[in-house]
Amino acid sequence: MVYLQRHIRKLVTLVGLGILLSLSLTSQAADLKPVIPTAKGGQCVEKTDVMRKNHMEFILHQRNDTLRRGIRTSKHSLKECIECHNAPANDGKVARISEKDHFCSSCHTFAAVKIDCFECHADKPEAAQYRTSAKGGH
Amino acid sequence: MTALSYFFVFLFYAATAVFVIGVARKIMQYARTPAPLKIPTTPAPVTQTGVVFRMAREVVLFSSLFKSNKWTWVFGWMFHFALLLAFVRHLRYAISSDNILWPLINNSLVLAAGQYGALAMLLGLTGLFGRRIFVDRVRYISAPSDYLMLILIFAIATTGAMMSFVTHTDIVQLKSFVLGLIWFNWQPLPNDGLLITHLALVALLMLIFPISKLLHAPGLFFSPTRNQVDNPREKRHISPWGQAIDDAEAKAKA
Repeated sequence: MVYLQRHIRKLVTLVGLGILLSLSLTSQAADLKPVIPTAKGGQCVEKTDVMRKNHMEFILHQRNDTLRRGIRTSKHSLKECIECHNAPANDGKVARISEKDHFCSSCHTFAAVKIDCFECHADKPEAAQYRTSAKGGH
Repeated sequence: MTALSYFFVFLFYAATAVFVIGVARKIMQYARTPAPLKIPTTPAPVTQTGVVFRMAREVVLFSSLFKSNKWTWVFGWMFHFALLLAFVRHLRYAISSDNILWPLINNSLVLAAGQYGALAMLLGLTGLFGRRIFVDRVRYISAPSDYLMLILIFAIATTGAMMSFVTHTDIVQLKSFVLGLIWFNWQPLPNDGLLITHLALVALLMLIFPISKLLHAPGLFFSPTRNQVDNPREKRHISPWGQAIDDAEAKAKA
């Protein structure tokens, strides 16, 4: 009995220390929500609360329509998301997907949701891409 | 903040208090319960290290259950392992991205295992429920709480899986709510039927945990047949009250 109690005290101490350590390594109240960059346009193609829950479905549906059925529209196209939501800042700087201030990664980093959209798609608006912005060209 | 959000803030603080204090009290009770006899089930380890390994095998692989009933083991182990996967996936709602644990949490494999583990969890629960219905001798000894506990966890798993696979909720707002609870800076909860149900059932589970059969979790470690070293000849097994009697007798003789 005494033997068990000694072990329990050890265990409780370890667990308690673990929790304290884990919490102390977590940032405090400042990071209760992600900082979402403001968009360029006035109103999104869907309501904000619908978008917050279902944007991935819209984009995936759009992909299937475009790629498999050949119906190319702009309403739910990822390109249009990027045009509005990741417009260049005043200093002309455009956030990349690897940075926390990119519109997509602000939340996706916060909530640990991995996306593979930008393995293929551009994470910057068309006008901000080096290929088209390099005037004078080849 | 809606009234509902405030209610859930209160509910989770209350449920956490009941869970932590309730389970701690139970652990104290188990620790104080005398184990007067040396009764390790043999073949048993003859050293303390051996006992640690035996216990680890019980906790991780459910080895006693495996030896006794393969069907129960398959479904039971499947359920419990899925529970672990789901737990790890849920950490992303409670831990910030600058935490030392983040690389483990923000890992595609871990996250996917947690998501599809839900299906294994439901399958395991279905098996355990079926066992109580279709196996005569198990049905005979099944009490209402045996069924209700399975149904409660099944409902939690279903609502959770629904949010993952069917109707999404605003998980960014949800994480804000959870972090708000941790840092006492309360944030609104997404007003979403499935999420509200899921969280309410989880709170119910936390509330009844300290008075339920789920206490087998800490209880396992207190099984005398599993946690004792097989050394009755090398070391006399005597409880404190037995020692007191011995001492008194020795004193009387002297």
